[in-house]
Amino acid sequence: MRLAVAQYYARPSPIHRLDPRCKVVAVTALVIGLFLRSSFAALAIYGLAAAAGLLLSGVPLGWIARGLRPVVWLLVITFVLQLVVAPGPAFYSLGPLHLSVGGLEVAAYLSLRLVVLVVASLLLTLTTPPLALTDALAWLGRPLRRVRVPTEELALMVTIALRFIPTLLQEIDTIMKAQRARGASFSKGGPLRRARALVPVLVPLFILSFRRADELALAMEARCYVPGAPRTRLHPLQAHRRDAVLLVLVAAVVVFAELV
Amino acid sequence: MSGPLGVSCDGLTFVYDEGASRVVALRDVGLTLAGGESVALLGPTGSGKSTLLQLLRGLLTPDEGRVLLDGLAAGEPGFEERERRVGLVFQMPEMQLFAATCADDVAFGPRQLGWSEHEVDAAVASALAAVGLPADRFGARHPYSLSGGEQRRLALAGVLAMRPGLLLLDEPFVSLDPASRRDLEAILRDLSADGMGLLLATHDVDRAYALCRSRVVLDQGEVVDAGPWRFGDGGEEVLLSHRLKPPFVVELWRRLGRSAAEAPPQLATAAEALA
Repeated sequence: MRLAVAQYYARPSPIHRLDPRCKVVAVTALVIGLFLRSSFAALAIYGLAAAAGLLLSGVPLGWIARGLRPVVWLLVITFVLQLVVAPGPAFYSLGPLHLSVGGLEVAAYLSLRLVVLVVASLLLTLTTPPLALTDALAWLGRPLRRVRVPTEELALMVTIALRFIPTLLQEIDTIMKAQRARGASFSKGGPLRRARALVPVLVPLFILSFRRADELALAMEARCYVPGAPRTRLHPLQAHRRDAVLLVLVAAVVVFAELV
Repeated sequence: MSGPLGVSCDGLTFVYDEGASRVVALRDVGLTLAGGESVALLGPTGSGKSTLLQLLRGLLTPDEGRVLLDGLAAGEPGFEERERRVGLVFQMPEMQLFAATCADDVAFGPRQLGWSEHEVDAAVASALAAVGLPADRFGARHPYSLSGGEQRRLALAGVLAMRPGLLLLDEPFVSLDPASRRDLEAILRDLSADGMGLLLATHDVDRAYALCRSRVVLDQGEVVDAGPWRFGDGGEEVLLSHRLKPPFVVELWRRLGRSAAEAPPQLATAAEALA
């Protein structure tokens, strides 16, 4: 079974090697920049920056396309809606529908911006292992500890959740097979019947998950886990010169895009 | 339709293809199990035993080769109803219990088959009786109030209630205490005596030897040896070289100075062997 979230494309590339914290900051800066200034020129610059990152990362276009698939409908709706509702002199009319050049421009701009936005974010998740990403977010969220936000614990929760996604998928697969061997069918009938057919899968899955969570908590306590206690890492995050280069480059892109 | 069901396969190949990783689980596997016959499917962890059982039940589709039930291939008339009569007991099947009462859980399969409530009740009662959990005492209890061994037997009843002509068992003895293992072994022995075919996938060679007349040794997805148990002519070495061991009674037989080729009794416990 393939999962759409937290996909990681493992490969040695200059983008993969970057510090995850810097990648998060860089992508955030690009996204904010993208919304600060609405001009086709700025959009082109951000688009080029994302394309350059894509090229350097060596992530196949097919993976990007797969990542874009969930937003295809959003794209279509945005485009059509903007095209129809935008005011301005119509170049084509069909009954109550007036399509204007201005509308076409706005629709194209908003759709392209969405594409650049998604590609930039995909670039982050595809080139950063999920665990490195949570580490980075935990580090970046450290100032929040001052106001008693348990960032370390939140990061650990996310880490554990990510760790158990493949395990749970495996378990669902086994339970579904076992119930199919007992005559269950998960594809027959209407939505209500299908939902009911999942009961024999969900009940064992929940019981197993609770049991596992219990055991994991005990095992962590047995290994002296104390919530909130400072923890050290086997592989501490470390920024290199290439990360500084990335941040400077991104800053340059944003400044340039805001000026043109 | 009832009665024992024969199963065979030839040239079975199955690959777990996850895009990035490709694992050949089975390569050109063939075996035959006549109706009512008991065969042990031996092999170390990861040898492909579970995959083979799931292929024989039609839960997986082979990349090559085919499964025959009573000589019929998939698509031939009568194959599908026979496939429904292949009972597959998963490893740790108690993990799949979900209903609020034991009787309801056992009734799940028969209800899916569209039997009348009367037939369902009869099937549930006889299945519960066959595993030593009589319906009048256990039927209304919650499955999770049972002990581990009882849950295992309840899950077996869930498969038996569908009146299978053949049982495929995936490591049925794993993580049970000795008493529960003995209970389960006695149940399987009774079923076998009543004409139920058993394909027992396990690395518990002692129980396999006590229950089955012949064995198939699987390692790294390939059949390395098949046929009746044999000792004294390399049979022990086959088991030892594939991370298994000869049955304990065979060892005992040899230590007692008996000829290894002389078939030792198919018993699993020291007490039985000494008697």
